[in-house]
Amino acid sequence: MTVPEIRFSEPTHEGPRGQNDRPGDPPVDSTAIDTTVVAGSPGTTTRRRPRYRFAPGHRPRRRRMRRSGIAAAWILGCTTVVLILAPLILQLSEVEVAGTPFTAPLGDQILGTDSQGRDMLARTLVAMRTSWLAALVIITIGVVVGGTIGLVAGFSGGIVDTILMRLTDAFLALPGPLVALAVVAALGPSLRNALIAVALTWWPWYARIVRSEVRSLMNRSHVEAARAGGLSRPRVAFVHVVPGTLSAVLVAASLDVGSVILVLAGLSFLGLGSPPPAAELGAMTAQGLTYLFNAPWVAVVPAIGLFALAVLANFVGDAASDALEA
Amino acid sequence: MLRKIVIRLVSLVGVLLLLTFIVFLIQRTLPADPVKAFYGRNSSPAIIAEKRAELRLDDPLLVQYGAFLGDLVQGDLGTSLRTRQPVRDDIGAFLPATLELAASASFVALTLGFAIGIIGSRPGRMSGVARGSSVALAAVPTFLAGIVGILVFYRWLDWLPAGQRSSDPGVSTPTGFLLVDTAIGGDPAGFGDAVRHLILPAIALGIGPAVAVGRTLRASLRQAYREEYVRSARAKGVTDFNVIRRHALRNALNPALAMFGLQLGLLLAGAVVVEVVFSWPGIGLYLSQGIQATDFPSVIGVVFVLGVMYVLINAVIDTLQLVVDPRLRT
Repeated sequence: MTVPEIRFSEPTHEGPRGQNDRPGDPPVDSTAIDTTVVAGSPGTTTRRRPRYRFAPGHRPRRRRMRRSGIAAAWILGCTTVVLILAPLILQLSEVEVAGTPFTAPLGDQILGTDSQGRDMLARTLVAMRTSWLAALVIITIGVVVGGTIGLVAGFSGGIVDTILMRLTDAFLALPGPLVALAVVAALGPSLRNALIAVALTWWPWYARIVRSEVRSLMNRSHVEAARAGGLSRPRVAFVHVVPGTLSAVLVAASLDVGSVILVLAGLSFLGLGSPPPAAELGAMTAQGLTYLFNAPWVAVVPAIGLFALAVLANFVGDAASDALEA
Repeated sequence: MLRKIVIRLVSLVGVLLLLTFIVFLIQRTLPADPVKAFYGRNSSPAIIAEKRAELRLDDPLLVQYGAFLGDLVQGDLGTSLRTRQPVRDDIGAFLPATLELAASASFVALTLGFAIGIIGSRPGRMSGVARGSSVALAAVPTFLAGIVGILVFYRWLDWLPAGQRSSDPGVSTPTGFLLVDTAIGGDPAGFGDAVRHLILPAIALGIGPAVAVGRTLRASLRQAYREEYVRSARAKGVTDFNVIRRHALRNALNPALAMFGLQLGLLLAGAVVVEVVFSWPGIGLYLSQGIQATDFPSVIGVVFVLGVMYVLINAVIDTLQLVVDPRLRT
């Protein structure tokens, strides 16, 4: 067993280059691909798949979503369009009186009216749109803030890394929804403040994910090459490191949309969203509780709207994460 | 192992300090003047100045934080603007009901979660059903679960009561824990009644965490099935049930436990919502009424108490993981 493992375990830079190689890709040595099992660790049963996208003889794996996931994504897309266009289609405002209070569903108003005679369908659709967009905003803020912190921590290493990650861990150890609740209560109930509060408690997840991805990418040869080539630090970071973190972040983000929608609705249910008469799913349900036995639809319709939105988001997120996870 | 526990304790102190600092900052940034909120807008300047001095509002921020920490250590959470009682006493009166609810919901979360995880991890048709239903169940808002439960099992079928902790409005609870009191007091009818009142809210609250625990357990069980010790156990002729119980489950337990700890944050926040839906007289209902009345001391007091509970329980779970899994000890 005198396998010269050193020669095989690291692809050397003198290896032959494939025709399709981009400058950023590591040179490919076809003999080095499948022999990365390190000698001296017997019992390693997991054979590592070659990670080079353009290695000869290896087609890049196509990433596909499950069929149910694609269907869910289409439904979600159509729902988004309908929600955005809802006020135009309905010709009804969510705050104007449309009929007698407590009209049961399936009459003049398809989903009935609430305690003030406002149309439930219009209110629910508008509220769903608010929820959906708000969740996207929160996720975006979380990804940008957390991603930046994770990138700085992972890229700098050393003391900066330690401090930032200790802070992130400390934030992760706090109960997010409760902290968000206290923050909105202090800032005053409004949708904007609810967004700020939830985003404040959501970033640490992304910081951690991005940081660990960055740490592992920093050791990859294309980043080493870029650094050795004397590229500026921001350029290395944004051109050579950030793209590699995207799929992990997208997986996490797509799985989170449903939870964010639910947390926001919970805040709104407790009276920490937009003040009335604005239409919000949580607040509408809370108002409907008073009439639960006489007019159950007032509470149930918005709650089901919320459920539908969260289910779609979850199915798409689940399928997307399956497809994105290599 | 001892070293790990010590490190854990040190970081626990850090996290608790961060929690108190955040609570302190939130209190400082309140848009409403706490003194005017307490005495009303038209009180005399002398009284206001006296109260400001008492609350140390004119001291430097760090001095205020130190004083705030001192108060907390002595259990002083301020005075509620709504009930005019010390927040500590209010919370003490309402906390047992919430603890009973949260404990029952945790029980639901763990049993249902383990069922989902174990069924979903095994091959066969049930696996797909478990997976799909867990994705859907994860999207059920707590209040929808509560409302549907009330409408179906109380209004329609009339099987279970909905709302309050007991059918007897004047029920006496010396310790506040109704289950404990009725069990010790030798009152089986009262105990059964209390349990029946707990079922719906506990399930509504437990579903979300159950799904999260179930999905985590499913993933880690599937990983465990691929290990060689499972293959050799099978080869020895161990039954499927025993393979899971004695071999796979023990090794797959840790991620599920950790997930349960994380879910407690959602569970405690969800308890607030469930208590509103079921008029459950716990600190969640107290908190929600505090929000309606812009009673900041009580809101912040409740958040602080629940936050400390969450941090402490997670520390315990972390330590438990060391007990369950010897591999983590070194």
